Amino acid sequence: MAGLADRRRAAPVPSPEPAPPILAASGLGKSFGARRVVESFDLVLARNEVVGLLGPNGSGKSTILRMIAGYLRPTTGQVQVAGFDVVQQGLEARRRIGYVPEDVPLYTAMRTREFLSFMGSIRGLSRPDVGPAVDLVIERLALQRVQATLIGKLSRGFRQRVAIAQALLGRPALLLLDEPTNGLDPRQIIEFRETVRLLAGEVAILVSSHVLAEIERVADRAAILLDGRLLDVLPLEGVPPGGLEQIFLRLTADEAVAQRIEA
Amino acid sequence: MSSFAVLVDKELRSLFLSPIAWALIAVFLFLMGYSFTLTLFSTSAATLVHIFFQAAGLLLLLVPIVTMRSFAEERKTGTLELMLTAPVREGELVLAKFVASLAVVVVMIAATGAYACVLGWFGSPDWGAIYGGYLGLVLLAATLVAIGVMFSAMTSNQVVGAILAIGLSFLMWTLDSLAQLLPTGLERVFISLSLLARFTPFATGAMYASDFGFFITATALALFVAVRALARR
Repeated sequence: MAGLADRRRAAPVPSPEPAPPILAASGLGKSFGARRVVESFDLVLARNEVVGLLGPNGSGKSTILRMIAGYLRPTTGQVQVAGFDVVQQGLEARRRIGYVPEDVPLYTAMRTREFLSFMGSIRGLSRPDVGPAVDLVIERLALQRVQATLIGKLSRGFRQRVAIAQALLGRPALLLLDEPTNGLDPRQIIEFRETVRLLAGEVAILVSSHVLAEIERVADRAAILLDGRLLDVLPLEGVPPGGLEQIFLRLTADEAVAQRIEA
Repeated sequence: MSSFAVLVDKELRSLFLSPIAWALIAVFLFLMGYSFTLTLFSTSAATLVHIFFQAAGLLLLLVPIVTMRSFAEERKTGTLELMLTAPVREGELVLAKFVASLAVVVVMIAATGAYACVLGWFGSPDWGAIYGGYLGLVLLAATLVAIGVMFSAMTSNQVVGAILAIGLSFLMWTLDSLAQLLPTGLERVFISLSLLARFTPFATGAMYASDFGFFITATALALFVAVRALARR
């Protein structure tokens, strides 16, 4: 018996499968006709990590987010969200993504609560779960005051919050925010930052912006883009306030010089 | 409720809360009532054949107005992006818009059932022909709605979507007239694709499985193209 016990002790314990990263994009590219908008974009996001997608207007940030969200099909490469391929296993992948597009498109003829209930239902929540899930996001994003208001009558700041609230329904693993501070006033921007900090512990966030200070304040890492190309992905821990601006200017200037040499 | 039922519910609310649907139903019923009364008093015949053809003609014009908003408006306002990144299939979205738009048109058609009741009250109509006519109208409406949804899925401009749908619907309605100018082989093909030629047997009290199959196939084909148009991005 002692021998069996020894063998049991000696038997290798199967190690649990490592969880796939929340986001794994490799070689991602998108062309519209002959125009190449994004090329060879690679990025891996760990659980609960906040990464900023930083680049000037037209650098391909929205296109990348749209490909990850499943709205645009990549011309090259692939994207996996929580281990599910966004193209081949689209439904499974999209169940794990909460997406807030740049212009915050919402159904303006619906009331806030009605819209959130609708989005909760199409995001796969069962009827008994919709009410509590909507209550939760309304509370988290402080929408109690406007839950019976028509979305068309809400301020830009409240619309942004409603858009984030719908993206959080169904507990996604990855939240995609496209230029979330566009059109917000300074107070709303501060509120938005607080919201992101609040969410950062429970969901991985990929947020795009052309405002360096925004990314510096909310992200753990910054992915810097220029003309559809990923220049670098760098950790922001230890970067002094305003330091990202220097890094960004150096990287983009180096790239511009390289492009001139190539030309 | 399944996500498909939720989508249909949302589309129905959106259509029936819009004044466009009610204005269209009112115009349709006014014109149909006018025509029914006029024909009934001038012919004193207990038949709805002329009503079925007039309804079909009006549907060619009015259905694209019902369907033009379906995808074009969502594309323009950006909510289509929200829908296509939610965990729902393109097919479910297309089918939900189709079912809701068809429901509006069926309400329009069903309201003309009052004329059949009037005929039944005061005369002895051929009920088989009346049922057949209504079945034909619903099948024709399904095809027209599918064509409207298809063009709406292809454009972000509602008016362009409606004009294209009216154009194709009229072309398909009148294909049998064009067929007379063509050689025999082509003539048969064109007649077999004509909405008028397929609808006429239903309106006159004869039903053929081939006509039924044509409307179902044309509807399915237009919906399939709509799904492909949404998937191409």
